[in-house]
Amino acid sequence: MRYENLVYEQKPFDGVYVLDVHGHIGFEQGSQLGPHDGKSIVHTMDRMGVDAVCVSYSPGLRGDWKRGNDITAQVCGAYRGRVLGYAAPNPFHKDCDVSEYFAEDRGFVGIKIHGNIQGETPENDPRYAHAFELANKRKLPVLFHAWMPYEIDRAADVARQYPDLKVIIGHGGLTFAREHAVAVCKKYDNVYCDTAISSAPDGSIEWLVDKIGIDRVLYGSDMTFFDCIHTMGKIALAKLTDEEKEKIFGLNAKSLFGL
Amino acid sequence: MRFIDASCRLGMPAAPGEGMPWKTEEILELMDRCHIEQAFAYHIVARDGEVEDGNGLLMEEIKKDSRLQPQWCAMPATFREFLHADALGDAMKKNGVKTLRIAPKGFAHSAMPYAMKELMDFAAQSRVPVFFDYGEAVGDALYDLCSAYPDVKFVVTNTAYALNRFLGPVLDACPNLYVGTGNYVPHQGLETFCRYYSADRLIFNTNLPFGSATAAVSLVCLANISKEEKEKIACGNMERLLSEVRL
Repeated sequence: MRYENLVYEQKPFDGVYVLDVHGHIGFEQGSQLGPHDGKSIVHTMDRMGVDAVCVSYSPGLRGDWKRGNDITAQVCGAYRGRVLGYAAPNPFHKDCDVSEYFAEDRGFVGIKIHGNIQGETPENDPRYAHAFELANKRKLPVLFHAWMPYEIDRAADVARQYPDLKVIIGHGGLTFAREHAVAVCKKYDNVYCDTAISSAPDGSIEWLVDKIGIDRVLYGSDMTFFDCIHTMGKIALAKLTDEEKEKIFGLNAKSLFGL
Repeated sequence: MRFIDASCRLGMPAAPGEGMPWKTEEILELMDRCHIEQAFAYHIVARDGEVEDGNGLLMEEIKKDSRLQPQWCAMPATFREFLHADALGDAMKKNGVKTLRIAPKGFAHSAMPYAMKELMDFAAQSRVPVFFDYGEAVGDALYDLCSAYPDVKFVVTNTAYALNRFLGPVLDACPNLYVGTGNYVPHQGLETFCRYYSADRLIFNTNLPFGSATAAVSLVCLANISKEEKEKIACGNMERLLSEVRL
């Protein structure tokens, strides 16, 4: 009941480790976000008791990958340990190599793949191979925007090809394609699902936990598209035990990211 | 804090996912868990086009619990497909109905005055708040609808995360537009809205069963706004709109 009480007492989630595995910074084309810079997300995190968030720079996913990852690095540097980076490769630039972001401690902890806004590039496209090889070698998580069944299948193919990297299915565990995501999680031990979606009905997180087990579900907010409160509250008020909620809020991700 | 859910749905969805709480008993259980004192509900059969039959089914369904209040779906009376305004007013009064929901796109009719004048004149005169999903009046159509009927209190629901640039100018131009908080999820969305437009124009709702009541109450409880603003959003604004209804 601890987390239900925190919601209704309108208090931050202090005393529990909260790691948001699915965040964004930067302006997003075509939709109006709330405040989306490092300062504003850390303000929200402080207020809500979120320990850390893993982010990619949204405009960099679409356009200049180098600029985008450099901005992510700047924000990670400014908020060390609170904002963690996903390096985002771009399949259309042969010179794209994101390994430099992991060469020293620049705050990067994983890779972000968002093929559907990169010319509808399949998530398992060979042009992403350098990033997958890097992740496989360093046992890094790779967060896929995987909403549709075919996106989930392609992310699963990466899990099959690279058994030492960890695939996070972003969104898909709670969309209409959730059965697909569950099947993939059951087939591959290195696949996880996050909670980043605004439109999932009540009961969906409990359903996912029932299908793939508590250890494979990770808190993701999709902040700054959404307010992180939305999904935090849904987890806090879910029909799960406090211990299960703590695993989703951050303990699973802490272990996954080796933090 | 107590909540009044200004709009949710009852009845069997076409494709309920396993675990989705859509049965009335499940909705009531969620209301208990989420401290929702009352819920204004419309019926999926009405929303799917059998308007009068669906409104009738709703009246039967809400007999299960006094916490459920009716929200009737409505359309223009053209071709006698729906009640004329006088008959609608009488039926609403008889059944204790104080809110309406329209769906111009879903019901395939124009939302402009030549098509909806009688129904909207009734809403203006009776001060019955009129709800609709954003998808029913997208972009410029939202302005057209709200500006055509300045005396009608409109509550737009199901707005999601990417609509502030559409909503903002209409909120500026049309003081009769209110926003339902169910799935209004932009980062720091409620605090930003309160700063620009005041908490007076936010109405708590869940969009159950497709929306999440747990997320909806959390967004209000944990928003970075004052206690007074939260109470207005959670129940005060809806109570104010209801108190103005004259049937």
